[in-house]
Amino acid sequence: MNRAWAVARMQMVNKWIYLGVPAIVLVASTGLALAILAVIPNDDGATRLAFSGQALMWYFLAIGVQSMMLAFPFSQAMSVSRRSFYLGTLGLYTALSMAVGVIYWLLGLAEQATDGWGVDGHIFALPWIAESPWFAQILLYFALTILLFMFGFWFATVYQRWRVLGLVASLTAFGLLILGGVAVATWTDSWPAVGAWFVQLTPLALTGWLLLAGVVLAAGSYGTLRRATP
Amino acid sequence: MNVIETRGLTRRYKDQLALDDVNLDIAPNRIYGLLGRNGAGKTTLMSILTAQGFASSGEVRVFGGNPFENEQILSRLCFVRESQKYPDDFTIRNALDAASLFFPNWDAPLADRLLEDFQLPNPKKHRIKKLSRGQLSAVGVIIGLASRAELTFFDEPYLGLDAVARQLFYDRLLTDFADHPRTIILSSHLIDEVANLLEHVIVIDRGRIVMDDEVEAITGSAFAVAGKSTVVEEFVAGRPVLRREGLGALASVTVDAPLQAGDRERAESLGLELAPVSLQQLIIRRTLKANERFGSPAAADTNVEVAR
Repeated sequence: MNRAWAVARMQMVNKWIYLGVPAIVLVASTGLALAILAVIPNDDGATRLAFSGQALMWYFLAIGVQSMMLAFPFSQAMSVSRRSFYLGTLGLYTALSMAVGVIYWLLGLAEQATDGWGVDGHIFALPWIAESPWFAQILLYFALTILLFMFGFWFATVYQRWRVLGLVASLTAFGLLILGGVAVATWTDSWPAVGAWFVQLTPLALTGWLLLAGVVLAAGSYGTLRRATP
Repeated sequence: MNVIETRGLTRRYKDQLALDDVNLDIAPNRIYGLLGRNGAGKTTLMSILTAQGFASSGEVRVFGGNPFENEQILSRLCFVRESQKYPDDFTIRNALDAASLFFPNWDAPLADRLLEDFQLPNPKKHRIKKLSRGQLSAVGVIIGLASRAELTFFDEPYLGLDAVARQLFYDRLLTDFADHPRTIILSSHLIDEVANLLEHVIVIDRGRIVMDDEVEAITGSAFAVAGKSTVVEEFVAGRPVLRREGLGALASVTVDAPLQAGDRERAESLGLELAPVSLQQLIIRRTLKANERFGSPAAADTNVEVAR
């Protein structure tokens, strides 16, 4: 457990990666979205959505890849077991994802208090999500962020273990899986049912599904990492 | 008790054997040379010993146990590989700070002294990915030395280092080893350069251990004799010959056996010159001979890298 904690600290040694860059991504994407909203006239007072909030979440996908491709080989040179690396890394980015959830919720409150930053913009308090209780909002943003992280982490782990061939195979399999789902829905004429399922989905239920996917990826990552080589 | 024991260690990649039935016993507090050509299996062996890599079959015991996922054992060893990767944007200082978190015997003042010795650029500003090959090697060397790990591996540590820095590394290694004895395994293909450091030599070729012996025993186990070819041939008759070299009427023959009583006097009276064989020469000869014995596809390949 000590060494898992040290793995987390090891990745916090360079503050730029986990504080500097995310702050820049958040500020720049939000600033850009607001600038665009300010330029476009809004005479009819309609709700205007900007999905720039996802920029920071995609950064977590990149971090997931990097922590596996670079921090893992380094942790091996530091004589850290794969288990400790896994626990320390996942622990750190779970905490950071939770921080993203809280920051987004707080920014959403600020957004509502300022009439959408003065330009009727909805970036953090997206209507469907902002109607839910505060903890559901935090959890949903957390789930999205950690899921993207796990996505990058798992595919990078597959690469570390089976190299290019494994990565191509798993990406292809993933694509086929989605294609298969679409095909089944089409053949069985169940698109209306699928649509209805999505419509009845509450933010909290969506969060549950996202977290479930995250847990599956996390378990898969550990199984893959056990035999990965730097 | 041995620090490392391997039995029947084998690593198979698709169509080639990277390690072939490796049996080793490594004793504590000595400096070992792990020698062999590029691609001989040195890094593969060290990776498996440190649980960074996996064996296809066979057994590894380090400090009496299997190092895989064993934090008690892992924390006592250090292996910074020659092509070590570092987290993105890490500075030299970041890497050393991180290392101080993991190695229980980490010596920060020593690391700082070595930073100056190797004249590395400002460690707080300089990113590792921008370092030259030699500077990168120096960072690995600093981590290896300052970790003071009970079992430390150096993987071709001299790559890209200039002559001064290489000598500095050898000096620092010996000084620190004298004050803090530990088991050191130095992998190298430049044999003569590290010969003075080593107490014991393990030579690996095409995944097989072809030599595992004390340095003194190796250098004392052979000699070279030079002089008029007819006289030389008479002198070596009946002895195992490792190599013959001739130039006109003169010949030099390497004999794969220790000198016997009376040999010196006899050589002198015959007008022959006796000379010791360098570790590097012996290892090259034996490696080539082992290849012949195993019927290597490139038995005639005299372009041995270690000969440089």
